[in-house]
Amino acid sequence: MPSDKTLRALWKGVKSFFSFWKDFLVGDSPVLALGVIIILGVAYFLRRSAVLAPVSAIILVVILMTFTVWQKTKTRRRS
Amino acid sequence: MIDQSTILLFITVALASAVEAVEALTIILASGITRGWRSTFEGALLALACLAVIVLVVGTALIQYVPLYILRIVVGTLLLIFGLQWLTKAILRQTGFKAPHDERDIYNKEVTTLSEKKGILRGQRDSLAFAISFKGVLLEGMEVIMIVISFGLASGSHGQLGTAAFAALVAVGIMSLVGAVVARPLARVPENYMKLGVGNLLTVFGLFWMGEGVGVQWPMGDIFLLVLLAIIFVATLGLVAYFERVHKSQAEGRL
Repeated sequence: MPSDKTLRALWKGVKSFFSFWKDFLVGDSPVLALGVIIILGVAYFLRRSAVLAPVSAIILVVILMTFTVWQKTKTRRRS
Repeated sequence: MIDQSTILLFITVALASAVEAVEALTIILASGITRGWRSTFEGALLALACLAVIVLVVGTALIQYVPLYILRIVVGTLLLIFGLQWLTKAILRQTGFKAPHDERDIYNKEVTTLSEKKGILRGQRDSLAFAISFKGVLLEGMEVIMIVISFGLASGSHGQLGTAAFAALVAVGIMSLVGAVVARPLARVPENYMKLGVGNLLTVFGLFWMGEGVGVQWPMGDIFLLVLLAIIFVATLGLVAYFERVHKSQAEGRL
């Protein structure tokens, strides 16, 4: 059995590994990451429509872009 | 013949690598000038070797063992997230809502911090310079290799992985050469314009591949990348123009 010290070090390593990737992928914009996942879902459900799928994906990306910038400017205006 | 998506791929990876190389160069210069060059170079070279191994091992293994449509979904999603993050930050900086990225300021802060620290000297090596340089290059390089691997994988061929890696090497090589000649932080590089460009390209490739991965049929095939680029570019310009006005009117309201 590994000692408590080894387990603690292992747990610390696992935590910092996941926190690095969370920071790397999500950063300070969880809405953006969530938005991209929603766009992925919408594109999947509409994939059989030759017009609706590309058009909705593009519109959603532009909306997400606008919303993220607007949200950040609002936070900065408050601070 | 080189097709237009390969050219776009090369430009995207080269621009992204150049931006990250400018940031890594600032750390290397600060460490080299204050703590000495030997350990700084050793740290940077080891980090570059680690990054090359990651590209070779992870990139090659993923191309061989993971189905292309899954790679495109994962890679497209990641690129779209990265692209929109780069774009958001670049738009905020362009419109004045976020302070511009000042390499000279970052350099001065690094130099002050490094001069204050003693570091553990082992023989002629400076462990602090080694660690700072290694960490700086590895962290700045991680985003680049994610982009290199993503572009290589989503196209589904070893050739494109090679093109992406070559683009990154060319950009890092040019930036290192310029950095070595001027021997000071590259503060005049139009970093924010480059970030706007890279953000646009990453967003476009991300959306395109993510769509292809889930089965969306883009009209006109690969040529539609250019149409997407135009749409995202116009949207970016619109957002910059609108939020610049908002920022100006707020500043005038405060006076």
